[in-house]
Amino acid sequence: MTGLSRGAEALLPPPGRRTRRGTEATLLVGGVIIAVIVLLALVSLVWTPYDTGEINPSERLALSSDRHWLGTDKFGRDVFSLLMVGSQTTLLVGLVSVGVAALVGVPLGILSAMVPKWWGEVIIRANDLLLAFPALLLAIMLTAVHGQGVVTAMIAIGIATIPSFARVVRSGAIGVMKTEYVLAARAAGRRPLAIALRHVLPNVASLVIVQASVSFAIAVLAEAALSYLGLGAPPGTPSWGRMLQEGQELLFVAPRLEVFPGVAIALAVLGFNLLGDGLRDRFDPRLEDRR
Amino acid sequence: MTHHLPRLLAPLAALALAVTACTAGSSTAPAPAGSSATTAGGSSDRITLGLVAEPASLDFTKSDGAAIPQALLVNVYEGLVKLDQDGKIVPALATSWKVSDENKTYTFELTDKAKFTNGTAFTAADAVFSINRVKTDWTTSLKAAMDVVAEAKAISPTQLQVTLSAPSNDWLYRMTTHLGAMFSATGVDDLANKPIGTGPYTFTSWNRGDSITLTRNEAYWGTKPHYQSVVLKYFKDPTALNNALITNAINVVTTVQAPEALGQFTGNSKYQVIEGTTNGEVLLSFNNANEIFKDKRVRQAIRHAIDHKALMETCWAGKGTLIGSFVPPTDPWYEDLTGVTPFNKATATSLLTQAGKLGATLRLRVPTLPYAVSCGQVVKAQLEAVGLKVTLDQLEFPATWLEQVFRGGDFDMSIIAHVEPRDLKAVFGNPAYYTKYGTPEIQGLLKAADEGSVDEQTAKLKQVGRLLAEDAAGDVLFLLPNLMVADAGITGLPQNAIAVAFDLSKLGKR
Repeated sequence: MTGLSRGAEALLPPPGRRTRRGTEATLLVGGVIIAVIVLLALVSLVWTPYDTGEINPSERLALSSDRHWLGTDKFGRDVFSLLMVGSQTTLLVGLVSVGVAALVGVPLGILSAMVPKWWGEVIIRANDLLLAFPALLLAIMLTAVHGQGVVTAMIAIGIATIPSFARVVRSGAIGVMKTEYVLAARAAGRRPLAIALRHVLPNVASLVIVQASVSFAIAVLAEAALSYLGLGAPPGTPSWGRMLQEGQELLFVAPRLEVFPGVAIALAVLGFNLLGDGLRDRFDPRLEDRR
Repeated sequence: MTHHLPRLLAPLAALALAVTACTAGSSTAPAPAGSSATTAGGSSDRITLGLVAEPASLDFTKSDGAAIPQALLVNVYEGLVKLDQDGKIVPALATSWKVSDENKTYTFELTDKAKFTNGTAFTAADAVFSINRVKTDWTTSLKAAMDVVAEAKAISPTQLQVTLSAPSNDWLYRMTTHLGAMFSATGVDDLANKPIGTGPYTFTSWNRGDSITLTRNEAYWGTKPHYQSVVLKYFKDPTALNNALITNAINVVTTVQAPEALGQFTGNSKYQVIEGTTNGEVLLSFNNANEIFKDKRVRQAIRHAIDHKALMETCWAGKGTLIGSFVPPTDPWYEDLTGVTPFNKATATSLLTQAGKLGATLRLRVPTLPYAVSCGQVVKAQLEAVGLKVTLDQLEFPATWLEQVFRGGDFDMSIIAHVEPRDLKAVFGNPAYYTKYGTPEIQGLLKAADEGSVDEQTAKLKQVGRLLAEDAAGDVLFLLPNLMVADAGITGLPQNAIAVAFDLSKLGKR
């Protein structure tokens, strides 16, 4: 929206209730999708229709039925149960990797905005270097050193996501550092750490939340990609990416085994992106006057 | 905020690309062969075979790996003898042979018609050169099988005499493998790039990472093969291999690595599906040096815990043979030993309880091969059902798996198919091997089998097979099937894959 020129903006119907409704809808749809996935993951901690560790040759490759809503895979495991348990992996990887990225990226971004300009440039260029490094390559490297596993995947995705947090936070923090209340606080002799915690962090928090939501979507996709390549969840650990990989050889025999996890991944990514968009529209001060 | 989005989406796009790249890999892989596809499909003089695992070099005297002899032996190189489809030793460059009474001296009558592709004629001197060269120049692990040769000498240009230091039933069999390949005394300068043999095909080109092309040897001394040109095309992905056949980029899938996908070919009159047996025993191997596996009850409990029929059904679509020990049905000493430790969860649990190992954790480290990853999950589930804990991880094959499991011994259990023919001795007769097994009793029996009469050999090796099952040295999950799919008109495809070589000269067209 902000990308539109003033002239183009003038051609649009006057913003008002419509925009707000659009924002609310985006937020609502995104929120509902994520809520459902979180709910499924939570339920799967205590109950799934079938045990996903159990192998049942007599029911293998069953079609959708009353017994198995989404059918079974080649091991006779219930696909719906696998999707439920797989959402745990998805959410866990998302949470931890976004957590790692925020924990490192946010202080880094604030720091780069608060130190003298020259040092700030050094930090952010180093950050750009990491940004230029392909996330998958990083994950493959880490896997080679530490072995395959969900933890390695989480850390790799987390590290790869640091730069985007640092970038976003820095741009917000630079703005905050120029405000009068920060100047006043500095004049009053407040220590930099206090300024960072008291003034800068609360003002960039909305940016971080939006960034976290978008990064979550990327992490979900990255986890799926890594597991699909055999670098993420080990065999036997339900994961959507793994399900895609295991179903690949059956693509022409039982395409549903690719469709269900594929749809799940797409929905999760869509959900987090919509949530991020909705949150951004809500928090972005530049959209404020249109409401 | 908005102007950050493209930046954020960049890694996303990269990941998406990576995922699609894999799928794209499967769908576009056959494209480079598109040019050959038209000729491959229609013409009678060219055939393209799809294989897995491209060789690292063309020199099997220096590099291990089954892919090199699979492509070159019998086709480019010939031995004195070879294996037929039933596993019987039949003449090749030797027209006949006699064995002395004490089983130590072999006298071969050689053909006088054979010629190497460098123009020189094949004589007994070349045979002596080739046999001696194994000891002096070869560097592969298999060469030890020729240590038993005391002397090879040419009696006349068409008569060869080989004297062994001790009787060995195994020796003549090994001569059917690439150890027995005949080289020209003047043609071994560049084996890695320029193989020279007497076979029905000559090596033409090797497009690394893609294919090897062989051309009919018009000066071949025996029956000339049907196909003028044979392309061996290598695939990394099982699905890509199957797709290549569907899109006519290849004519034969020599080994189906995704048996579930056979469904797309069976019942289609365009294709023929071949199901036979192999030498590939899929072994759930134990690290017998580990404390927990020193207790026979634990090893037996694991064998009792595994429902082999269900396992084969789930992880290899029910294709394959249940054999119960380490001997395939094509060997004369085969015996069905599936009844030695029948599937019984209660027995397994009680054996574990007696051993005090109920609830113990075992690390199952499998290579990234389709059957191993699949079966690993089934084994894990079945062992956990009787009260063991199993942590399963997969190691990149071959490098990481060889380093950590095969050489490093850092594992409790693994799953791998042992595809070498008659490999009882190599796998369970050597305490230094990764299975860390080879009791004096077994070693004694193996030696006696090698040195005794043919009947004794069969009896003793039968005994070894049974002992291995009873002592639960490992658990053979099943025997890999020979699964091939080919265009319907192609004839002469091997029913069983029991020899090292893939005999291309038999291929024809209806």
